[in-house]
Amino acid sequence: MISISKLLCDLDAEGDGLRYDAAEGSKKPQITEKKQRRPVVVWNTTRRCNLYCSHCYAGADLDPASGEFTTAEGKAFLDQLADYGAPVVLFSGGEPLVRDDLVELVSYAADQGLRPVLSSNGTLITREKAAALRDAGLQYAGISVDGLPERNDRFRGEEGAFDAAVRGIENCLEVGLKTGLRYTITEANAPDLEGVVDLLAEKGLDRFCFYHLDYGGRGAEIVDADLSPQEKREAVRRVADMTLEYHDRGEEIETLLVGNYADAAFLVEYAREEFGEAKAQAVYDYLERNGGDPTGERIADVDYQGNVHLTQFWQGYSLGNVRDRPFGEIWEDESNPLLEALRNREEHLKGKCADCQYQSICRGASRLRALAATGDLFEPDPQCYLTDDEVFGTEAGSMVGGAAD
Amino acid sequence: MVEKARRSLVESDERGNPTPQWEVFVRAEAADPMRHVGSVAAASATEAHEHASRLFGWDAADVWLCPAEAVERYSTRGLATDTEDEESRVSEGADGKPEVQDA
Ligand code: SF4
Repeated sequence: MISISKLLCDLDAEGDGLRYDAAEGSKKPQITEKKQRRPVVVWNTTRRCNLYCSHCYAGADLDPASGEFTTAEGKAFLDQLADYGAPVVLFSGGEPLVRDDLVELVSYAADQGLRPVLSSNGTLITREKAAALRDAGLQYAGISVDGLPERNDRFRGEEGAFDAAVRGIENCLEVGLKTGLRYTITEANAPDLEGVVDLLAEKGLDRFCFYHLDYGGRGAEIVDADLSPQEKREAVRRVADMTLEYHDRGEEIETLLVGNYADAAFLVEYAREEFGEAKAQAVYDYLERNGGDPTGERIADVDYQGNVHLTQFWQGYSLGNVRDRPFGEIWEDESNPLLEALRNREEHLKGKCADCQYQSICRGASRLRALAATGDLFEPDPQCYLTDDEVFGTEAGSMVGGAAD
Repeated sequence: MVEKARRSLVESDERGNPTPQWEVFVRAEAADPMRHVGSVAAASATEAHEHASRLFGWDAADVWLCPAEAVERYSTRGLATDTEDEESRVSEGADGKPEVQDA
């Protein structure tokens, strides 16, 4: 997750990005702790969903699926996460609100010291439900909208889904639950970006997360629906431009990018263009501490049957199952050669990723997309949209040596 | 007296839902032990083999694939909630065999 608003609007161009790290905990930068950081755990609480979205990574369905955790199993699983010290559990699906014990599970997670957050299509969030979730200790609700009404409804396979999602957002905001938008960028809905932000900002929403398509789940069937790398670059530029415009007007919206760490490299280039070298360096330093693509390290996913995945998008492979072995044990077991290789991916990256000047803030972006597109886990991400000049630092303003120490 | 682990049967219903899951075992080099390395989702054994090969190397000496549902699992620390007594280890039975509890 890369916060554009923080990087471009809050980060001090004088170059001391360190203090942003310090603000999050101790007084000093914690670079040495990088490897010990516990992951945010996405939990697909159910496979059921009331909608049928064309890009769903979980392959969610209208019918109930067996093998879902009972309430008791869900709690035992949350105990595992708490024992391991996972900081955040993201209740996801399917659509988590179709589970009638959701409020109970959120409350239990909060009691165990896990920070419960929610990912939902918003259509089932009534005002009462929003209030109950808030009271249970829910910290944040991310609600998916994928375009202006007509496009969104086509995407989500149901007429009225847009209005229902917006009602869900309003209900959350009304009861004082921190809420944000989730927007998966595709070729079909890229033109709607600004329109959706304008519409929702007017309703009081101030956090907007843009997801790149990853190539797992039903997403794999719509690789063709993805933007070309060049179009992707343009879409990211538009989000950055829009962020600056909002902040210039004094409207401090938060904008984030998820799912393609080539964005990190692009934002350094963008900062240099817009604000000059000092700002570019500050952005780079911050992103380097942020650590690049988090797959298999700072993000984990557990599906509705208990299978542990490297990210929520990578459903085709599982490290193990929490019914067999506690989550922490599975996650720590680097005798698994794939897990070990991903955590040391710098040693394995091929092609332009091997020599890229932005490798330490990107880490080769999505290994899942590389695998899906080339059959090789360590080939470059097909959705890297950087130019060769940018990758190899042949132009003025190269980051190599200056910061990559 | 030798202590034995108390294991419970892990419920494995519908492990392959919606796509069949295959447990993957890999022997990287001829002299290495066989190692369980997780599971892949695949419609057939052939597809599972290809999938596993992409993840764990085409040059591995051996790759075994087993339908996940066919694996009977006994674990000392799964999610089973009806074995909540804190004592996770018990003495072995009189016949010297480990006492295994069904959940
Ligand atoms: S070349 Fe590779 S490491 Fe560099 S920005 Fe592109 S995906 Fe990231």
